[in-house]
Amino acid sequence: MANPPRIWLSNETPAKDEIVRVRAQVVHIMESGLRLDAAGAPIPRDTLTRFEARLGETLVLDWLPETAISQNPYIEFTFKARESAVLKMTWTDQHGVLAEAGRQITLS
Amino acid sequence: MTSCAELNRRQVMIMGTAMGAALGVSPLLGTAAAAQSSTAAARADTAESDRIAADFIGAADAVSEGLALDLPALGDNPSAVPVRVHVTEAITDDSWCEELIVLAERNPMPLACRFRFSQASGAADVAVRLRLIETMHVRALARMKDGRVFDTRGQITVAAGGCGL
Repeated sequence: MANPPRIWLSNETPAKDEIVRVRAQVVHIMESGLRLDAAGAPIPRDTLTRFEARLGETLVLDWLPETAISQNPYIEFTFKARESAVLKMTWTDQHGVLAEAGRQITLS
Repeated sequence: MTSCAELNRRQVMIMGTAMGAALGVSPLLGTAAAAQSSTAAARADTAESDRIAADFIGAADAVSEGLALDLPALGDNPSAVPVRVHVTEAITDDSWCEELIVLAERNPMPLACRFRFSQASGAADVAVRLRLIETMHVRALARMKDGRVFDTRGQITVAAGGCGL
């Protein structure tokens, strides 16, 4: 992918039950559907509709952005590191899956 | 007051465009300016936001505590205002936050986003960047597993508005 998501983790080797902070950003135009093109016709809405973070198979965050979310949506969240697994993040817009990324979390 | 400020901004923009034409600014720039035009308008009241909040609260009694909303005092870039929301009480395996919403009260579409957590999350602490059409209150509501609803709001002044909407 031309623009992979940018991801930062506070700790990839946390102690069990430690709170891990994640910052992630993906490139997306977040067209609100309210703007007009040069001819005065409305530009169709094109927004990120969903972001999911799973530790292994377990859902830790489900985020549903709307038009008030900035371009190139930024999301910061925390989760409890209960097990060693891949933190899998999926960004979806109305055209389907936009980006996927994974980071290995290993309990120390 | 608000509509007055809005009018002034529009007048300034119209004046700017006219001046650009008078000074012979490239027509390409004019086209780009036209492409930025928008039907987005700030809401005159918070009725829609209140309706969404009432839907979220349901039959619960919302309390104005338990939720912290971090906003900058001045949103110098209204197209990306950093907002952090977190539940202040401890999140445990017996008591966790199920759902959280953020409302930009006067935006054309007040519901900014919705978050869903699970028992596995073990936390309810999120931050996003909002685009705000004008100076307004941002409101956040969270529903805990036992049905309690936390409700908080914070005022934010933005330097200009409508950017990117």
